[in-house]
Amino acid sequence: MPPLLLRPHASLSHAEALQVAQQAPEFLRKNPASYSASPLFSLFSPPESSKTWTIYENLLLACLRTGDYTTAHQCLERLVIRFGGNDERIQALKGLVKEAEATDNSELEQVLKEYEAILANDNTNVPISKRRIALLRAMGRTAEASEALVQFLDFATTDAEAWIELSDLYLSQGLYAQAIYAQEEALVIAPNAWNLHARLGEMLFMAAESGSDGHPQAYLAESLKRFCRSIELCDDYLRGYYGLKRVTDKLLDKDSKQKKPSDSDEVTLPETSTIEQLNLAATKKLGDIVRKYDAKDPLWQGYDSGEVAAARACLSETSQNMVR
Amino acid sequence: MSEQELQINPIVQDSVIHNTKTLTNLHSLTASLFGVSAGILGLESYYGFLYYIALSITTSLLFYVFKLAPGSLAEGRSVLDTGRYYKGALELWTSPIFNGLPGFILTWTLFYGLVRA
Amino acid sequence: MAQIPPQTLHRDPQLFYWILIPITIVMVLTGVLRHYASVLMATTPKKADIKAIREQRALAHGAALRTNYHVLSRKSFETRRDFLIEGFESGAYLKAPNQKGQPPANPMTDPNAMEGMMGMMKNNMAMIIPNTLIMSWINAFFSGYVIMKLPFPITIKFKSMLQAGVQTKDMDPRWMSSISWYFLCIFGLQFVYVFLLGSDNAASQIAQQMQAQQMPVGPMAPGQDPSKMFKAEAENLAVIEHYSVLDGIEERLLERIKV
Repeated sequence: MPPLLLRPHASLSHAEALQVAQQAPEFLRKNPASYSASPLFSLFSPPESSKTWTIYENLLLACLRTGDYTTAHQCLERLVIRFGGNDERIQALKGLVKEAEATDNSELEQVLKEYEAILANDNTNVPISKRRIALLRAMGRTAEASEALVQFLDFATTDAEAWIELSDLYLSQGLYAQAIYAQEEALVIAPNAWNLHARLGEMLFMAAESGSDGHPQAYLAESLKRFCRSIELCDDYLRGYYGLKRVTDKLLDKDSKQKKPSDSDEVTLPETSTIEQLNLAATKKLGDIVRKYDAKDPLWQGYDSGEVAAARACLSETSQNMVR
Repeated sequence: MSEQELQINPIVQDSVIHNTKTLTNLHSLTASLFGVSAGILGLESYYGFLYYIALSITTSLLFYVFKLAPGSLAEGRSVLDTGRYYKGALELWTSPIFNGLPGFILTWTLFYGLVRA
Repeated sequence: MAQIPPQTLHRDPQLFYWILIPITIVMVLTGVLRHYASVLMATTPKKADIKAIREQRALAHGAALRTNYHVLSRKSFETRRDFLIEGFESGAYLKAPNQKGQPPANPMTDPNAMEGMMGMMKNNMAMIIPNTLIMSWINAFFSGYVIMKLPFPITIKFKSMLQAGVQTKDMDPRWMSSISWYFLCIFGLQFVYVFLLGSDNAASQIAQQMQAQQMPVGPMAPGQDPSKMFKAEAENLAVIEHYSVLDGIEERLLERIKV
């Protein structure tokens, strides 16, 4: 795993983000404010690499997250000195700082207007389009956000990130079929991403739970397959096993209650014995993971603590059912 | 491996490139050093090439022992199976020999010329 | 048969200092220069207008579906396929739908195509110019000397190549002139570049040529009619025989985790 400063910011927990933000002043002090193009000067200053700028960007995000706006501005300043204020990415970062500093809705409106002005000049500016959509969503204008996102995806059909965002947006509105469609599009672009497979499995499971449309049985069957695939791609994947356990529990539960033949010939459920075996395997694996995580086994510490807690809760629920 | 199997157990192209590149770089650097030593020893014709082949296989062997073996034995593979990191066994044992050959000849000639002039 | 005594030549050690070392240094420096030149000349992709991006991305989308159809279940694959085929065939994604079927514009007049050709030209120039310069420099200054002896025997056929400019009939072909040292440098300096510039360098021309040969043709080669490419992609999609990696995955997974 790369050092903390280089990890993508979105994957950091709050504590880690704080840790990153606290390193910011020191990093700013150690590195020069600007890099000269002259070779003589570069002999005496620390070497510049693309990593340096990734770190600056991460520091900027971490500082915004922890509310340290002065340091954030210093980071931004250096990025602007290096790449110029008109770079698309820098424009988006600038906008991000303004968004973070905005105190009320009218200021956010102001930022939104600026984005729209930039987009009116250049409608292919991807980072700014994405910021605008994110801002719309953050301001609670979900319908506008999804509309803008659909427009964006019309010309950038191979942007997996945008498809995932769209899927998430639909999911938050309970539009399961659309969310699943968008998530599948993301999978077509990144076919081996196990987290996307597991996420799709979760969506299918939620769709089956809600039972609002279609055939919950078919959804459950595909959800099972998606979780299996995510585990196949990534051994010991907690979310995959957790989902597998939930979905097999549900299927076994259902099987005992109602024996309804699946009306969709598309996705067929496997034999009940197979489901039982999968359930057992998932329970065993989850138990392993929780035990090793709790025992502070150094090789098993990469899991998110919240996810492990959820697995623990799920396991104890099962064992209670068994006792009863 | 059939296409379908590859889709089930995908191989990430970036990792393959990275692995091959690491090995190629190691070999092109060591090959030049072997050339230096061969030139200083004054080896000629077949002996020089045999010397090179023996040494570069040794390099591959050391690379296997120190870099590949811990990971691939832990995965339950048999000894000298490189499937975890490389597509075929040839990729580890023979192809680097040809990659390093020009560098070897260059330094060999240079030092042979310098020493025996 | 008595052993033929090996030929010996007495060479002035100054030959090393004034021929071998300059050629080597110049070769290394050209490599470094070529690396930095290619870094500097790498053009930032030109901003395309939104229609062109859309056309290109739609084609890439079709290609992605064609290669990764196996992640989808049959039903969702078929909806997508029908949707894309319809869009591709009706020309909904074309940059200029009304120009459909017209012959592609002359690449010389299309500024975008010119850009791509300029890029190729630049790359070729970066290889050809230094080579010709150094070759002629070596021929002008250093021809007619024998500077070194190869440590391995080679056949008489190589004599004319290795001993260019040295008219001695009976000399062992192992003796080589400065121009052959130049050739050795072209092939063998890769390790120096790895050492100096890191493994991602663009210094070695051999490596670059191999790359150029392997490079697949980009999705939008200049001078091709996009509507034809869409048609071809639609056909490719139509003939896919669908299967999914999800088929029988439960058994496969059980097999795998039981081990």
